[in-house]
Amino acid sequence: MTGPNAEAVAAAGASARSGSIFDLGYRRYEGPRLGRAYAIRSLVVDTFRGSYGLGRGGRAKVAPIALGAIAILPAVVFIGVLTLAARLGIQRELEQTTPLGYDGYFNSIGVIVLLFCAAQAPELFSRDQRHSVLALYFSRALRRSDYVLARLAGFALALLVLLLLPQLILFIGRVLLSTDIANAFGIDVVKVPAIVGQAAITAGLLGGLAMAVSAFTPRRAYATAGIIALFVVPGLVAGIVIQQGSSSIGDWLVLLSQGTVLDGTNAVLFNKPLPDDFFFFDLPRWSFLVAATVEIVVAVALTLRRFARITT
Amino acid sequence: MPGVSLPDPDAGPGRHVTLGPVSLISIAGLTKRYGGITALDGLTVDIEPGIVGLVGSNGAGKSTLLKILLGLIDATSGKATVFDLDVAHQGIAIRERVGYMPEHDCLPPDMSATDVVSHLATMSGLPRTAARERTAEVLRHVGLYEERYRAIGGYSTGMKQRVKLAQALVHDPRLLLLDEPTNGLDPAGRDEMLLLIRRTGTEFGMAVIVASHLLGEIERVCDHLVAIEGGKLLRSAPLGSFTERTGTLSVEVEEGQISLASRLVASGLTAIVDGSAVLIDLTDDRPFDIVRDTVADLGLPLIRIEQRRHRLEDLFRDQPLGSAPVAVATDDAAAVASAVPPTEPRR
Repeated sequence: MTGPNAEAVAAAGASARSGSIFDLGYRRYEGPRLGRAYAIRSLVVDTFRGSYGLGRGGRAKVAPIALGAIAILPAVVFIGVLTLAARLGIQRELEQTTPLGYDGYFNSIGVIVLLFCAAQAPELFSRDQRHSVLALYFSRALRRSDYVLARLAGFALALLVLLLLPQLILFIGRVLLSTDIANAFGIDVVKVPAIVGQAAITAGLLGGLAMAVSAFTPRRAYATAGIIALFVVPGLVAGIVIQQGSSSIGDWLVLLSQGTVLDGTNAVLFNKPLPDDFFFFDLPRWSFLVAATVEIVVAVALTLRRFARITT
Repeated sequence: MPGVSLPDPDAGPGRHVTLGPVSLISIAGLTKRYGGITALDGLTVDIEPGIVGLVGSNGAGKSTLLKILLGLIDATSGKATVFDLDVAHQGIAIRERVGYMPEHDCLPPDMSATDVVSHLATMSGLPRTAARERTAEVLRHVGLYEERYRAIGGYSTGMKQRVKLAQALVHDPRLLLLDEPTNGLDPAGRDEMLLLIRRTGTEFGMAVIVASHLLGEIERVCDHLVAIEGGKLLRSAPLGSFTERTGTLSVEVEEGQISLASRLVASGLTAIVDGSAVLIDLTDDRPFDIVRDTVADLGLPLIRIEQRRHRLEDLFRDQPLGSAPVAVATDDAAAVASAVPPTEPRR
């Protein structure tokens, strides 16, 4: 009969330690205060989790998790096909005919990344404005710019996971399924900087622009529509201008089209020829890297300016 | 000015937190203009620790002042310090130790109170586990129990106000700035909120500034009042000097106003007939009993008895009671009157 006795002793001990166990009332906090850098890190983590609907209701998880699954699907299918090919001994033939390498993957899931931005960026950047939550952030030990940069970093990290997880599956699959694992690892590992670099540029560019658009409206639907328009319309305009014949202007206009810029940086980073497409006619290879950098800087600057002026 | 120190209950008897040689808040010539509108106009006032009521009608500049003190907006000119820190340059250091409850709705509806408050606690620098513990404690302190795990979207206004207070308290600030904390609450909810504020301020030695346009509420919790109007200081004084009962008692009866008024005058009161009501000058509690007895004696059909205040400005300037009953019909007076519990429940 130790159970009840032990409980009674524990209860007596607890009440002796804390005086009254029924009404502790308000107590002072004497523990550590970790300051601004910690607050910023916490906001980055919160934003990353929020991007996938973690810590939110079930409905908030549907879109990001579904899009993440779709982004991974081609990699999983490809690995399946690769397994089959290995059994049939036609691995090399598959390698030569399939477009689904590391460099091709980014283009094939481009639409998924766009949809992820359009669905989730407003959730993160319009939401705090719509519900006036900003007042609660800005009245704490944070600067407004801290808030903006932490949110952007968290969202960019979420996009990096979306972009790199399928690449990782692809990498592991290709290496493990090859006949000579060490050799295959050596061949594929040199592509890692290009893979990570292209993923970072994609996350920065699409994430930054989606954030900038969301920052300017508290209305989620407007932000989503604005993001899709920003990612689609410049390409259409450039296409029309090129087809009208004034090609030299059109050539440079395509640099406003994120899809084109990212195809360009992809080709540059993986050291491949630019796609055989009138969009890429005669543009220097460096111009894509410069365009991506400039657009990221402009997006972040606009967002910082916007949040500096918001009244809470 | 002598050093200001607050008792620190957890540090043991006799231990104090010293706040430095100057007052808690010092404001000198503070002016804020929004385009052509002047929200604060050369405001100068020092505020000592305690529970301080910041009163003024809507648009008097109360919210603007609180936001400047937090370093959320910049003043056009003038200077203000909190804990001896300059609001213009040391906003982060100030905000680390200040809790702020905004006037408007500011909670995301899709999160639970626990999630919101503990997230905001980490934004104030509390480690994750400490943030969770403090959240549970503070939510219990403001009276939220099982419902704290539900999404805020389904909360009543009273519950939301409690969550807003909890997030302001969660990092254990030394100063609490509350902007219209009883906004949108029913009479019972107001009483509970005021009691909470009073307890937080007195039992734990936390300095509290409560901004409100409802003088009747604020005088129930504060030790000191700072009254502003049109961005200027009207008066800053201990509550005691405001509490003389000045005002008008309106007794509304269906008939017999004239006989009631004449009987009251005969009893030594100043009474005039205003439509269906008899207005009585109120200088102390005496008229209440006389009115009750007189109405009962005459057997008059009584509709309501209501205490009215004059305009804040008049009250703060200690002007003699105006004889014109029209003064009570202004918006300010209506707001103030509604704060004073009427003899009969309104609505």
